[in-house]
Amino acid sequence: MVQAVFTGFFGLAAIWFAVVVFRTSSMVRSALALLFSQAAIGGMFLAMQTEFLGVLQIMMMATEMAIMAIFMVMYMMDPGGLGGMDMTHQKRASQVAGALGALAALAVAFFAGWGPIAPEVRPAEQVYGLGIEIMERSMLIFETAGVTILTAMIAATAIAIKRRGKE
Amino acid sequence: MSAVLTVLMLLVGAYLVAVLEGWVSTGRLRPAGPITSGLALLGRESVVPRQPDRIFFEVAPPLLLVAALLAAAVLPLSPGLVVVDLATGALFVNAALAYVMVALVMAGWGPDGTYAMVGGFRFLGQLIAYSMLIVMPITAVAMRAESLFTTEVVESQAVLPNAVYQPVGFVIFFLAAMGVAFLPPLDLPTAPGELAGGVMAEYTGWRLAVMRLARAVLVVTLAAAISVFYLGGWLGPVLPPWAWSALKTLLVAAAMLLAGRYVPRLRETHVLEWGWKIGIPLALFNIFYVGVLLLVVE
Amino acid sequence: MITLIVALVVGAILFGIGLYGALSQTNLVMIMMGVEVILGGAMVNLVAFWRFLHPEVYSGQMFVLIVMTVMALEMAVGFGVATGRFRAKGSVEMEEAQDLKG
Repeated sequence: MVQAVFTGFFGLAAIWFAVVVFRTSSMVRSALALLFSQAAIGGMFLAMQTEFLGVLQIMMMATEMAIMAIFMVMYMMDPGGLGGMDMTHQKRASQVAGALGALAALAVAFFAGWGPIAPEVRPAEQVYGLGIEIMERSMLIFETAGVTILTAMIAATAIAIKRRGKE
Repeated sequence: MSAVLTVLMLLVGAYLVAVLEGWVSTGRLRPAGPITSGLALLGRESVVPRQPDRIFFEVAPPLLLVAALLAAAVLPLSPGLVVVDLATGALFVNAALAYVMVALVMAGWGPDGTYAMVGGFRFLGQLIAYSMLIVMPITAVAMRAESLFTTEVVESQAVLPNAVYQPVGFVIFFLAAMGVAFLPPLDLPTAPGELAGGVMAEYTGWRLAVMRLARAVLVVTLAAAISVFYLGGWLGPVLPPWAWSALKTLLVAAAMLLAGRYVPRLRETHVLEWGWKIGIPLALFNIFYVGVLLLVVE
Repeated sequence: MITLIVALVVGAILFGIGLYGALSQTNLVMIMMGVEVILGGAMVNLVAFWRFLHPEVYSGQMFVLIVMTVMALEMAVGFGVATGRFRAKGSVEMEEAQDLKG
């Protein structure tokens, strides 16, 4: 019961901050609201006794979303949100799509038979268990992820770099 | 109980760090200096600049303090004296320290001032230079301890402290910790003289007092982290464990502060370049070296 | 059981908000934020499934790690595209990106 209350609390925080992301007109606020939304998701992980992933989520999102803030200030026309620009289009259709998607997911959550609920898990075993999983069964997947990161790094740099000889 | 004791130790440590910092920067030892200047700050008006991002402006100083306190919460002072002994303690230190950067970006953006914003975004731009160098040496430390429990990290150094076992990691972590605590010569976000206080430029009164306190607590926390990860924490002969922890933490803090007295402030491009081109390869080498030592020697 | 439902409901609502954001925003960076919210909702569901249905199999946690990687990659490539676009046209507004149509 305590677990459900904490999960729900962090869940509400995550939802509230996620709404703020698209409602505020200040870009830095928007990026940091997303950061706190993701950190609240990390809090949900912790509430669900998934300690390693929770701490990892809280750590990674801090840097990721702060970098997002710097890019938003760089590329947006009105980063401070003082001009009151409307930055949305096809509002009605998006609202309908969002509501339909959420409803579909909710219907699955309520009507699917989830089977028996597992008993307690211990955090200390998780770090070990995840390490064994990465190094044994899922090693190929993990290696693939590493190679994908390298590819994406090279691709992103190649796209963003200034062309030589032009201008 | 241990939470109260830890906060008490942190406050005493912050006071001593403030005295030391004053001594190092002015050359005069004034034991009452932090108290009088703190009281003076509390007495002054706390000005809110024109058109601020009010939420960020208010939240940034407490967030800096909370980040430093959270990082300190997983660091053990003696075998029983740790607020929470997390199974992912060494990772949690990183997670809490990442929010130092978030707090400074907020403090830079909030007050709508040029110097503050340059300082905040400069600290964010330096991210690679110090953040990776905090994470990667800790990886090597955790490899030796075969655990992320901070208490087990300390116990793994019973024979030989990590500062001797992996000196490269120790040096890198020490410098990166100075970068996170924005101590001179790496005080790029505040940069007195160049940015006129940077992220702290627009803060006055009690808000500045909170921010200065948070910075002093951050220095103590990072010194404690170095003592736990590299100097064997509470381990040592004769003296009781907590005394060893306190002694090592204070010595590390003093060394960090002294280093700034004799080195001029580095240029931000140089910090980023050296951190990226020298620091990260060295940190990778450190991980490799520790791995070889663990597999071959032991 | 109740915690599982709570987590799934939060995941579903986050998915809806993210979908709305990704479709309604005109700016490339804001669209990426919508995608991040969607992935956040997916991660909540994955962790809930791992914890309450199969805690003995660590593939669930592995899946979350991969989703985190995907988030980081999406950001990296997205910012690469945004930088290239900004260099070429001086704006990352999607309404003005009609010239990308072949």
